[in-house]
Amino acid sequence: MGNTVFDLKEAVSWVKKEEAEALTKELLADGIAPMIVLEQGVMAGLSELGDRFEAKKAIVLDLVKGGVTAKTCIPLIQAAFPEGEAGADAGKKVVLGTMLSQHNIGKNLVSTLLSISGYEVFDIGEKREPWDFYEKAEEVGADLIAVSVVFGPAMQKFGDLIELLKELKVREKYPVIVGGAVTHEKWASEMGADGWGKQAKDAVSLTEELTL
Amino acid sequence: MGKIMWDMIERTTTGPIMSEDDFENELFPTVIAELVAKHKIEFDPNEPIMSDPDMADAIFKAGMELLMEVGLYCKDTKRLVKFTESELWEVIRTRRHTVTLGTGREAITLDPRTAGDPRHPFTWFPAGAYNSTDVSRYTELAKMVAQEPTCDGLIGLPLMGVGDKKLVTGTPAQALKVLVEGQAIKEAALWAGRPGFFLGFPMSATTPLDLMHAFESGIYTKDNAVMSVQVLQDLRINYDRFNQAFFAQQAGIEPWMSSSPTLYAYLAGPEQAAVEIIAHTLAMMAFSDGSLTQAMSCSVHGTYQGNDITWTNSAASLAAERNIQVPWISFGSTADPAGALSDDTWIGTAIACITACVSGMEALWICGGSTALECRMAGEVTRAAAPLSAAEGTDLIKRLSKIEKDPSPGLVPMEDLYDFKNFQPKELAMNQYKKMAKIFKEEGLSYPTWE
Repeated sequence: MGNTVFDLKEAVSWVKKEEAEALTKELLADGIAPMIVLEQGVMAGLSELGDRFEAKKAIVLDLVKGGVTAKTCIPLIQAAFPEGEAGADAGKKVVLGTMLSQHNIGKNLVSTLLSISGYEVFDIGEKREPWDFYEKAEEVGADLIAVSVVFGPAMQKFGDLIELLKELKVREKYPVIVGGAVTHEKWASEMGADGWGKQAKDAVSLTEELTL
Repeated sequence: MGKIMWDMIERTTTGPIMSEDDFENELFPTVIAELVAKHKIEFDPNEPIMSDPDMADAIFKAGMELLMEVGLYCKDTKRLVKFTESELWEVIRTRRHTVTLGTGREAITLDPRTAGDPRHPFTWFPAGAYNSTDVSRYTELAKMVAQEPTCDGLIGLPLMGVGDKKLVTGTPAQALKVLVEGQAIKEAALWAGRPGFFLGFPMSATTPLDLMHAFESGIYTKDNAVMSVQVLQDLRINYDRFNQAFFAQQAGIEPWMSSSPTLYAYLAGPEQAAVEIIAHTLAMMAFSDGSLTQAMSCSVHGTYQGNDITWTNSAASLAAERNIQVPWISFGSTADPAGALSDDTWIGTAIACITACVSGMEALWICGGSTALECRMAGEVTRAAAPLSAAEGTDLIKRLSKIEKDPSPGLVPMEDLYDFKNFQPKELAMNQYKKMAKIFKEEGLSYPTWE
């Protein structure tokens, strides 16, 4: 008996990259509809992994590796879609980085969650200044800027980013969302952010909402 | 010990080279998982305190081996700085076991203590307010905690800015903020009749230059403050840390060695976090010549409480107590800014204090909460819980965790809780204090209260 989408779901959920890639190829070659392979295999596996993370049975590192596994499978599936059906939501670009400090855990998690949700993430890393976000957004034609703010001095810098975008007359062009340990909703609103996320997963729903 | 720092600096240019992704995603998680399995270190989710001496020794050994096999990752050069076993033993053998902080009548000496020692851990209260630009209000809040009978020192919280001056990081505006915070908590200590208080470290100083400004000013001194030299997240280092350690050494300032692992990020659980704390501590001892160690864990899910957190903190403390014997500190709060009237926050803070007592710690920093009354409670509980054995403390924590709690009313304006004319708590705040004191006394903690 051949492998099923359940096997692919398990391979993605348990972060078995090579096995997931091979299964994706096999299922598509067997004529399984690409949408089923994507939704019931890859995305269901990621969802199961996410549930384990919430239950403290998986860690950020697993999510990162899960994202890499999914990103290995997704292009194979996209190529199998009949022309015109694939990638309807693809192409939305997000510039992401940590303002000023060295912290990367939350940022990496947001990067993974956005990537596996189909966004093209341009991670500019840590210790970033407002100009870095603007410059990358212009370079790649971003649809949204996401900022991780993890310690006090970076809070002011986030305000500087909003002011910079206004000064350069691109504020309307780039929705800006923010999150991080020292931030809260009232502050984000006062700073002029378009959205604030308490948890990393909120970045996905905010991005969906703001890039419609 | 200075020689080891020079050797480490040299190794940042000669050690094995690798990308940070490979270090973070492969080498570090693989080796730490292997060491935890090899030494059979296991977290019991039902136990808030780790009091098994054999497991503590296993955690220590795994921490040492982690430094020998992985070492520190230098972000500046992308190279690993590994240690030899003999270097690490030399670091341990040459350690100072006590540290004195503060001056005059307020001077405190952190002597080694163990679970059951009636001498209580010292309690350093959070002074000022997070995210404020109002220096006057910040100073008033600092005075409220400085006057508390159980206050053993102050930790200045980070101001958001100074009045309407724009805070431009990397400029003297940042340094000014650091100095104003220091001045404010110093004024609070003077006002409370405790001029020799230990004033923690300049928490807002985020660069070596800020730190140097702080000590050059004379507000923070080698007698009333310490200087942060902590490694970066998950066994990483950069050249700033060496520079800070060298400055502290030359100026005679006690290094503030700090390890704050985040559970469920790149660490699979409390076992790995405890091992990491030991590795961080030994590494910081090697390059800073420090002894005073702060170790606290948190969860990537955003909490500072729960059995996984207290188990990590107590396990690392016991491992250090048995094998390194340096003054050991942890976090005495739940970090909930809306916790002034929250039963959950008050009990969480009390559990952090009891954990410190029965894990042989010598002090708690940011001990309390957003109000001076929470600090008062934390100081009192710490004194009352000091003589408890590990078993008694564990049992008490389990009972407190099961207590039915009233729903939290959320954030309450400080003006509703305190009278800013005389710095005394209002009835609303006192009622919460009395309610919680009654609970703690009913659960067996006997202590006088300053009602």
